[in-house]
Amino acid sequence: MSTVESPETPLPIPRPVQRSEEEIAARVKALEALMIERGIMTTDAVDRLAEIYENEVGPHLGAKVVAKAWTDPAFKERLLADASAACAELGIGGMQGEDMIAVENTDTVHHVIVCTLCSCYPWPVLGLPPKWYKAPPYRSRVVRAPREVLRDDFQLDIPESVEIRVWDSSAELRYFVLPQRPAGTADLSEEELAQLVTRDSLIGVGEPLHPGSSRR
Amino acid sequence: MTAMDDREAARRRVEHLLLELPHQEQIRPADGEVAFQTAWEIRAFALGVAAHQSGQYDWPQFQQALIAAIRSWEDAGTGEEWRYYDRWLEALQTLLAERGVLDPAALDERTRAVLRTPRNAHHQRARREPVAVDAARIDRSPPVP
Repeated sequence: MSTVESPETPLPIPRPVQRSEEEIAARVKALEALMIERGIMTTDAVDRLAEIYENEVGPHLGAKVVAKAWTDPAFKERLLADASAACAELGIGGMQGEDMIAVENTDTVHHVIVCTLCSCYPWPVLGLPPKWYKAPPYRSRVVRAPREVLRDDFQLDIPESVEIRVWDSSAELRYFVLPQRPAGTADLSEEELAQLVTRDSLIGVGEPLHPGSSRR
Repeated sequence: MTAMDDREAARRRVEHLLLELPHQEQIRPADGEVAFQTAWEIRAFALGVAAHQSGQYDWPQFQQALIAAIRSWEDAGTGEEWRYYDRWLEALQTLLAERGVLDPAALDERTRAVLRTPRNAHHQRARREPVAVDAARIDRSPPVP
């Protein structure tokens, strides 16, 4: 294989034995961009394939975090104080310098996350962002009219007595929601509780499932 | 729902391809485990299948490239952590370079560009206050904490 360097190439990147997560993620992104530019494939085709499996990455980790917070008050306290550190306790982490904050839903406050500029998303806990999260309509409308967006687009009726707070994730700081534990779950184990936590409930556009209901 | 049916059909087509690949336990892990650990893995996976579906290579060629990538990783014995999708990505790059549709130097250059981008991107500043608040519309007069 040739190792031709283009003349304007800046300093070469040092090659550790194991590439950093950040570099590999960048390489995949670069590969996709080049193939799309060459007309080998379309973003749509790649999106469609990735979507088939989008539920098989990530949200289960966020679900694990939430179920632990529901059953372990000390962990919950640590999670709300420093989500990155609490997630690291469970072996969940992301790229360097990426801070995560968990915001807790209560009887009086409901939280929703968005990335107003692009698609910043706490992927270590939530996996891949769903397509609508990256789309302009959600990104702009949920800031202007969160209550209406939740009701009209997600069939989530937030009582008028509850305040809604919308949080803007950035590359530096990414939010996820700690939803309220559903009623009637006192007897469930942590593993069973984790089954109730959906991706949408971690974004704040849905509620956790109730015991006995099935996953979409 | 037809969107769901389409997705099911697409999934069956992909599953059919996956059956041909080595390390089935990595592709279809035991119940309760997921096949992908990170977002880039699923993206790399989708690229490999998409390139095949657009006619860049026959699936057996990908299968052979993946087997070869895994073998050379085993032979090298660098102590590098075993990750299926590292090898998948390597197989994909090798195959596309062999077919002349990917210039490895161009990929390196673009990777560096991607790595540089976040530094200049405008969405770096952490926002520590809500970007919007829709206040409660009925005052239930909750006790002040």
